[in-house]
Amino acid sequence: MRWTARTRTGFACAAVAMVFTAYSARLVELQVAKHKEYSQMAAEKHTMRQVIHARRGLIFDRNGELLASNLPVRTVVADGSHVKDPAALARVAAPFLGMDEKELCAKLTSGRKYIVIRHELAEETALALGKAIQDANLRGLYFEPDAVRTYPNGQMLGHVLGFLNNEGAGIQGVEMSMEKSLRGQDGYRYIEHDRTGREIMLYRGQEEPAVHGLNVRLTIDMGLQAILEDELDSAFKDLRPEMAVGIIMDPNTGEILAMTNRPCFDPNHPGDAKSEQMKNRAIIDMVEPGSTFKIVVASGALNEGKVNEKTSIYCENGAFAYGGRILRDHHGYGSMGVHDILVKSSNIGSAKMALMMGDTKFYEYVKRFGFGDRTGIELPGEIPGLVHPPHRWDKLTITRMPMGQSVAVTPLQMTMGMSVIANGGRLLAPQIIRSVEDSDGSVVVSKPPKVVREVVPQKTARFVSEALTGVVGEGGTAQLAKIAGFTVAGKTGTAQKVSPSGGYAQGKYVVSFVGYLPQEDPRFVCLVMLDDAKVASNLNYGGLVAAPIFSRIGERAARYLDLVPSLRAEPTGPLALREQKQERTN
Amino acid sequence: MNANRRKQVNPVHLSSLIRCMLVALFVGVSALFFLFIKNQQFALAEEIRQMERKIANVRSQNETLLAHVTELSSRRMLQQRIAEGFISMKLIQDNAIARLTPPAQATADGVLRTAFNEGVRQ
Repeated sequence: MRWTARTRTGFACAAVAMVFTAYSARLVELQVAKHKEYSQMAAEKHTMRQVIHARRGLIFDRNGELLASNLPVRTVVADGSHVKDPAALARVAAPFLGMDEKELCAKLTSGRKYIVIRHELAEETALALGKAIQDANLRGLYFEPDAVRTYPNGQMLGHVLGFLNNEGAGIQGVEMSMEKSLRGQDGYRYIEHDRTGREIMLYRGQEEPAVHGLNVRLTIDMGLQAILEDELDSAFKDLRPEMAVGIIMDPNTGEILAMTNRPCFDPNHPGDAKSEQMKNRAIIDMVEPGSTFKIVVASGALNEGKVNEKTSIYCENGAFAYGGRILRDHHGYGSMGVHDILVKSSNIGSAKMALMMGDTKFYEYVKRFGFGDRTGIELPGEIPGLVHPPHRWDKLTITRMPMGQSVAVTPLQMTMGMSVIANGGRLLAPQIIRSVEDSDGSVVVSKPPKVVREVVPQKTARFVSEALTGVVGEGGTAQLAKIAGFTVAGKTGTAQKVSPSGGYAQGKYVVSFVGYLPQEDPRFVCLVMLDDAKVASNLNYGGLVAAPIFSRIGERAARYLDLVPSLRAEPTGPLALREQKQERTN
Repeated sequence: MNANRRKQVNPVHLSSLIRCMLVALFVGVSALFFLFIKNQQFALAEEIRQMERKIANVRSQNETLLAHVTELSSRRMLQQRIAEGFISMKLIQDNAIARLTPPAQATADGVLRTAFNEGVRQ
């Protein structure tokens, strides 16, 4: 071949064509063959899924008082690839973050793209830090929105409200039981950012807005809660029991108006509390109820026609031999009617009524009053108590259970049981959630009162109620539960404390009083229970320890609820003195 | 100029030239307008971003203040303030109470009023 001008031109053209062909081939490979791979790489580099955090719902009491809210805070993160001068950035940021400058500098120089520097930085501090960084013309630190759950009332109502874990999920109380409604759903948006990390707004992609959590309104009345907490707190300090429980509820609706326990904890700082302080004993602790349980046998025997208002039962003068054991009364009594058996709290009279009913019928009434089953309150961890069926009873059980032994109930069950008598014979489901509302206050879910069953007819309930009024009257076991101006009905309970090692603990008692007022038209039922109060054992009775606490709570609650007194008050203090003077002059 | 040379001259057609220039001008102006619009879009997007940020900040500050107000007006704080003597409770005089429920009579006859004066009993 001759190396002519034409040949040279041909070679040059071919070479150029080959180069362009190679480039074209590469272009086709990048743009067509590997399109998906490279576009994904580009997207990963510039596009990100930004989470739009949902706001957790608030919790209110029945009157709209805020019980749990959210405090906005920021999580400070760094992008190591954006930090050009770690030392300078650390110098500016360390004082705001409350960190050591060297420690912060070490974190910033790690070069990672996502470094969490600090959680829960106050909003104001974050703003000030952002401005300081901007003024110093530095970059690399970013602020992610976050929130801290706060409970403005501290330990008040702590057991009912519960608290959140590190991931923001409720792990106790209403926070846990209403987690689904309160939590809401995080949203997201796809954004693109430039090389400095700033969002390119123009290329904002698909967006799903956050669905904020719903607000929860409780049945709790903070006015009553404050009264209950205050009185129980004083009792806890004065009498130093191992635990104390107080419940106030509306017997006509089953709404819990107040609920508290001692010892207690502050849900703002759950980490500081011991596990014993965190227990809501109103629903997770079971105790032998003692004589308060006598309302069950009295109602059952009356309803089954085994006794009537006029039936007289011989109480064996205080000692009744049955099943090889002697059952004793506190005082020796002869024959008494059902009314007096309740007023005097006769163990023998109650046992005889149970014997008249028979074990199966008596057990049926125990279950009808709701004992041995969970009440279904919207709080986590509730236990059903312990009620053995008749085939597991020994010979003594039929005489022991009517006086509140050989059975274990929760304080809430006891309150519900007394509500049956207060409201005319209906067992209601207890409620702590009044409604679930959206942010505008529109009700999304409302919880109307729920009647579980009719336990006894109104007539029977009224008779027992009259007898319970006698418990607080002259000759009753709970005269200290009286409230000036009101007819109070109630029942004391004094139960020996069950020892963990079996049997009963010597000299330790669980004392209680559960009552309601006004007896004619009950507005609230209140239970006060103290476990092992540090008083002399001859004074450690429900009527002497729990009843006065009930009286103080009841008086303040009646005033708070603006109840009109129905009785002529027995004046104390200056009024009593004035009346005494008048009597003397007359 | 001889005849052959005159034949080789390509005359400029003014109308074609103007048409080409107009097309070029139109393309140029369109491109510039496109750039201007694009810049405007970026500027507006940046303004929106800044505004969104400001709104988010204001909202956070508002929520922070609300949380503080709730904290300061909570029962616990009020009770603490009362205990410290910072604020005090004053009894409402009977003549300042407007009742919707039938009023109970005065304490003289031994009947308690529903919101009776605690001090009277001491």
